[in-house]
Amino acid sequence: MDMGTANQSHQEWLKEMEAASRAKQTSFIDGISAKLRRPMVTEPPRHPFRGAPDFWNAYEWGEQERIDRFTANFLSVGGHVERLATMEDAQRFITDKANELSAKYIVRQNQPELEALNLEGALPDAQVSVWNSDPEQFWKARAAEADIGVVIADYAAAYTGSITVLSSKDKGRSVSLLPTVLMAIIPVERLKTRLGEIMVHFDEGGRASLPAGIHFISGPSRSADIENDLTIGVHGPGVVYALIVG
Amino acid sequence: MSGASGHSKGSSVKDRADLALNNEFLRKAVKYTTEKLKGGKLKAMEEHGNWEEWRERGKQIRLHTIAHLDYYLNLFVDNARANGVHVHFANTAEEAVHISLSIAERKNAKSVVKSKSMVTEELHLNHALESIGVEPVETDLGEYIIQLAGETPSHIIIPAIHKNRYQIADLLSADAGETLEPDTKVLAGYVRKKLREKFLEADIGMTGCNFAIAETGSMVLFENEGNARMVTTVPETQITLMGMERIIPSWADLEVMATLLPRSATGQKLTVYMSGITGPRRSEDADGPEEMHIIIVDNGRSLQLGDPEFQELLNCIRCGACLNACPVYRHIGGHAYGGTYSGPIGAVLTPSLQKNIAEWDDIANASSLCGACYEACPVKIPLHEMLVYLRRRKVEAGHGNKLESAGMIGFSKIMSNSARFKAILKLGKMGQKLVARNGEIRLKVGPLKGWNSHRVTPSLPKKSFRDQWGTMEAEIRNGLQEMAPDMKNRMEQIVKNREKGGGNGHGHS
Repeated sequence: MDMGTANQSHQEWLKEMEAASRAKQTSFIDGISAKLRRPMVTEPPRHPFRGAPDFWNAYEWGEQERIDRFTANFLSVGGHVERLATMEDAQRFITDKANELSAKYIVRQNQPELEALNLEGALPDAQVSVWNSDPEQFWKARAAEADIGVVIADYAAAYTGSITVLSSKDKGRSVSLLPTVLMAIIPVERLKTRLGEIMVHFDEGGRASLPAGIHFISGPSRSADIENDLTIGVHGPGVVYALIVG
Repeated sequence: MSGASGHSKGSSVKDRADLALNNEFLRKAVKYTTEKLKGGKLKAMEEHGNWEEWRERGKQIRLHTIAHLDYYLNLFVDNARANGVHVHFANTAEEAVHISLSIAERKNAKSVVKSKSMVTEELHLNHALESIGVEPVETDLGEYIIQLAGETPSHIIIPAIHKNRYQIADLLSADAGETLEPDTKVLAGYVRKKLREKFLEADIGMTGCNFAIAETGSMVLFENEGNARMVTTVPETQITLMGMERIIPSWADLEVMATLLPRSATGQKLTVYMSGITGPRRSEDADGPEEMHIIIVDNGRSLQLGDPEFQELLNCIRCGACLNACPVYRHIGGHAYGGTYSGPIGAVLTPSLQKNIAEWDDIANASSLCGACYEACPVKIPLHEMLVYLRRRKVEAGHGNKLESAGMIGFSKIMSNSARFKAILKLGKMGQKLVARNGEIRLKVGPLKGWNSHRVTPSLPKKSFRDQWGTMEAEIRNGLQEMAPDMKNRMEQIVKNREKGGGNGHGHS
């Protein structure tokens, strides 16, 4: 059987599975309704307790406090934070760090703001790859071998010290995950107080607006699985820089 | 039934507890870790503030979702399908295993990389995968160690809590084929490298599911190591096993769960990674799975639906706070419970999932009913009350233990003049009130009865339960004296409500 036929038969099998699943869905859900001793609810139920308590939704810090709190939280879990005025400063910081660490492979997201940093020109000795810029490449391997991954945060939350990154064809999930060091640029206006200020976009945008991967990153990868001894960099990046710019 | 295999390792909780207690290291490690986690939780609660309001909100969201589970689960399924996910339903563990294996066979999978999932433990899925020649690889550091040792997790959050670094170095050295120093960094470094290769070569990534968001069809994972992200980013196929009650309505509700879960589990403000995955990779994406399956598992969960005494079990968010708070867990460790889920939640969930009170009756006795589990629970599940219900059902079903009753007599003789046990007896009385309805006390013996057989059983090995009893007794007694007035009020309120003939708040609609 050639690959095309194999794929076709796999697609047929998936269709069969879906038909079986849809048939079962009715009995599965009806079984739940029966246990709840009432007919299936079809109208959206009133949800008076949706989301965080009201006092929390009104909670907001000023910009400097958001920066201070984010910094304190990120440092406390072993991350690094730099406060930078401009993207030129960010470029300088990243290239200095890359030189200091003798980075050979760097992978960055395919975004105009990062393009403008011209890391390729600034780091002639390193191989800087741009995520998904060449369909022939095996991009997961490029990210896995990278010393440094460079991303721009879509959002950040000060209260928990979290960076939020959303995936797209130009923004690989691997870039913030596989390299040894992660550099995340946070434009200061994207730094919010609460997680809820970020999540509200996903509710409002609705299902069809969401990317495949939404990741909240709150420091370097860690584990305490061996005798409660904190280990950094178990699977994800062990060194994480949050560069707050603007 | 495969679910019972954990039970066959020892004959009863008491036997397994003896085993656990003979291992001095385990006792110390469990105590150290649980105290550390408990301390972290208390600190996080205090720092965050308004903890009671958050807890109440968490409880209300869970109650609301479970009360409308048919609606929200259906909505989740429709949205997940619209995202391109292949959704499957499994009434039983066997069905869930069958579906998982069919997918693995279809994909000609050689290996499956797994991130932590209690549901797959519940299904004994690793075993099943091996049986068809597929290598299952646990990728959470602790789980990987446990898998090499051929054991099961002993704590929901820190699965290898019972192993020291020398034992771990031995296991990993055997795996590496070279001697690794018993140094945490060296050992973790080895696992990182080894598992990198496994992630890149695996055909399937398999995960559990902390929450599933009905309105967008997204599944959410909380973790610290990054292995769950690996498992959902690198392999071409993703299979997620999800308990049917994992649903929450919206991302707004996720903020509440994200506030409660990490703080309760480890005292963190948020786990290092929280990932919301909405369908397989988009066609132009260069990573993420091409094919994504979600298997929705019942496996006994629906037994709790519509049962006023146990429905709130479905509210559980699997944080492990009740384990860390429980004086009994701290002494006997997780394996003594014998099921997939240990601690107070396991003591109630295991028999409840299996509808098998006779076989699991002894677990309910491995609790002091001190209420620490309820107080620790971020969604306010009244576990201590459920333990009383479970004992009552056991007696009603005619599974009362004769030896235990005899023991109770001996026990009261020894203790009848002792003021030391007044506090416990007081709680015993309250426990009786809780199960008294229509002026009739159906449970004749107090909640203490679980302890008496441990107390009077002869021939315990030295340094066993009996020797630990002093500390445990003190801890329980102190715990009792410290029982918060509001909790006492709550328990009394329940009794009062019942006297008024009212329900107990479970029948939310």
